[in-house]
Amino acid sequence: MNLERIPNEEKLCLCRKYYLGGFAFLPFLWLVNVVWFFKEAFVKPAYTEQCQIKAYVKKSALGLLVWVAVLTTWITIYQQFRTEWGEVGDYLSFTIPIGTQ
Amino acid sequence: MRRMGPEIPKWFMILSVCWLYKGVTCNSVEQKIYVALNNTVPCVRLLNATHQIGCQSLKSGSTGVLHVLQSEADLDWVLSTGPHPPYMVFMEASFFNNVTMMRLKNSTRVAGVAVVIPNTGPAQGYSPHTGCPNQNTGVYSEKYGPLLANCNNTVWNPLGNGLSYEDFRFPIFSLKDDNETEVIRKCFEDHNVAANGSAPQYPLCAMQLFSHMSAVIDTPTCMRRNHLQNSFSINPDMVCDPLRDYNVIAYLRPVNTSTKGHKANESVVIAATRLDGRSFFWDIAPAAEGTVAGFVTLLAAAHALFPVAQEVPPPRNILFTFFQGETFDYIGSSRMVYDMQNKKFEIDLDNVHSVLELGQVGLWNRQKLWMHSDPISRLNSSVEEEVGNLVNNIKFVASQMNLSVEEPSVSQALPPSSFQRFLRVRPVPGIVIADHEAAFVNRYYESIYDNAEYLNVAYPSNMSEAEQLDTVTDTARSLAEAATLVARSLYKQAGGSDPLLSNITADPKIVTQLLYGFLIQPNNSWFRALFRPDHQQVLKGVQSNYVGVRMPENAVKESTLLFQYILANLTGKATNLTQSQCQNPSDLPEESKDLYSYMWVKGPVSANETEGSPYCVRASTRLHEAYSPAFLLSDYASKEYSTWTESRWKVIKARIFLVASQELEMLTLGVGVAVLLVSLLVTYFMSSKAEILFSSARETSTTTY
Repeated sequence: MNLERIPNEEKLCLCRKYYLGGFAFLPFLWLVNVVWFFKEAFVKPAYTEQCQIKAYVKKSALGLLVWVAVLTTWITIYQQFRTEWGEVGDYLSFTIPIGTQ
Repeated sequence: MRRMGPEIPKWFMILSVCWLYKGVTCNSVEQKIYVALNNTVPCVRLLNATHQIGCQSLKSGSTGVLHVLQSEADLDWVLSTGPHPPYMVFMEASFFNNVTMMRLKNSTRVAGVAVVIPNTGPAQGYSPHTGCPNQNTGVYSEKYGPLLANCNNTVWNPLGNGLSYEDFRFPIFSLKDDNETEVIRKCFEDHNVAANGSAPQYPLCAMQLFSHMSAVIDTPTCMRRNHLQNSFSINPDMVCDPLRDYNVIAYLRPVNTSTKGHKANESVVIAATRLDGRSFFWDIAPAAEGTVAGFVTLLAAAHALFPVAQEVPPPRNILFTFFQGETFDYIGSSRMVYDMQNKKFEIDLDNVHSVLELGQVGLWNRQKLWMHSDPISRLNSSVEEEVGNLVNNIKFVASQMNLSVEEPSVSQALPPSSFQRFLRVRPVPGIVIADHEAAFVNRYYESIYDNAEYLNVAYPSNMSEAEQLDTVTDTARSLAEAATLVARSLYKQAGGSDPLLSNITADPKIVTQLLYGFLIQPNNSWFRALFRPDHQQVLKGVQSNYVGVRMPENAVKESTLLFQYILANLTGKATNLTQSQCQNPSDLPEESKDLYSYMWVKGPVSANETEGSPYCVRASTRLHEAYSPAFLLSDYASKEYSTWTESRWKVIKARIFLVASQELEMLTLGVGVAVLLVSLLVTYFMSSKAEILFSSARETSTTTY
């Protein structure tokens, strides 16, 4: 879909849907929201709905950051300590690379 | 499909030509680079409750510059001075000892090891096994004879250097001394040897070994991962399998196998020995003295005993058992004892009168046999009396035969034996007969050199197979005497009458044929005649006494199946049942599958026919599962039962090739990338300036139209 071609109200509606959708443990929706509406929110000349779009994009970006931080921390810890955890590590894993601890 | 007939071949031709073209060019490039080594055997990873042992390569194969060990200086070259680490060490078997291997193991400059194994071992002896085999799963422990535990008073295998139980992080392959090793040596001499010790120039000869193992750490870990794979993965990638196979058993008087647990009025003397062995390398286990001599002797004894004992049955029954997987913490015997305890076997421990086990007997050479017994259980007066009777029975028979059979002069522990597993649960009277008084006489215990040659089973090279089968070797003669001794002792122990003892004599010819079949050539006319007509190709394979893993799980190892047929033929009766009756004898009133096994065998083939005359053998032989109770109980960290598993792997192969220097490789890559970039630039430039570049051509083409 090309954002250029749709009216501003629909843009706001779309941005809002993506923002709310992100709460269903879907941080990628927030990522899409941020990338997709970044220009609309911060670059384009001002229009009525821009303020709200700006708020949604900012909140999406914040949520995304939290997700990235949490995931990075967890993945680092997991990769670092999986072998030490032994049995628990195996149960937490979906695939275990063969021939390694 | 029919209608498309003429078209299919055309398409097929084109496709196959394309495929062939691709295949051929692909192969030829690979062949130009690599020389595959086909005659190699790897060392693989085994795991138990607490450890992993064996070897493994990197996932994409371990590669190193080849270096042939010829002296200590070469070892220094590999470990410190050589400029091209990591090295792939190529050595003669004389270097394959504890000291050298530990130095290599502790170095990061070693990518792998290839060992050339000769046919005969070093004169001073060589055993990669531990000094105290099955140390923790025998009967002796802190609670039972603490002074005898951990081989405190007798180290049974003093030559054992324990290499088989080390964990190497690099691959180790064995090679036979043949053309391939010549190629390797030549490659080394042509490329890797520089004058007066200077660094050789690239390209260098390198070797790549693939033996990446899937399982790690220990059996609890790998079984847990197997389970996880099985429950969550659509395409389970199992990592290890328990060592398992079957014990082979035969009753003197058939016992109804449909009812389990205690049998009233049944008193059974167990005649036992083991069926398996191992070596450092995977699936090579000649175990001639370690195992084969013992089971051949017991087979010959059974063969001698059955006709007499069936004519005049002794009051007690005799159960011949050939235990499988004993090398790996007594898999077979521990399972049988477990089944007897849990009423899953035809008889229970109350039915067991006594045990006579054959240990290593191949090297006794008619000198002296030793009767080992357990001093701890003999403290009990009733056991002492029974053991005394058994000893006296054997001595009585021996004196009749003018043989010397004695008890060790000092009180000592039992050697590693299946009988220990019976003693673990109750003080059963029993004796282990062996050719050693204290430490093993066997200088090559559980090694690749414990072969036919070591047992002196050798024939002049110009003999035909038929002549070899007919030649009675000295070893066969002495083992036949041991077999006679065992058979008569068993008959007497089972309560048979003395005058009949002289009728029981083991046939040296049977012994020599058995030795020939199990040690030299299983695919001989005698074994073919005794085996299933539809499984004859099994005989052509290499027979190994390594217990191994089974896929599917209830499969029987081929050599065990062969063994069962041979035992059946030696102890059973040929019947005149037809093939279909043989498969389904329950329909006949006088036959019973609960008492007997029925086996269709090929029969001897005379010179002028090809098929032979197959017949049905009825025997009381059975297979009994040798699968450690630890896996039945899912107790993978068991201290009581064997927990050995074998890792799975995807690829095992070895090859040599020439490697270029790192700089040359980088240069080649650099030039390739540069060419790519230049061609991209040129293409971009050409397409952007196409108007100018091709304008005249376009003009001419438009004018022609």
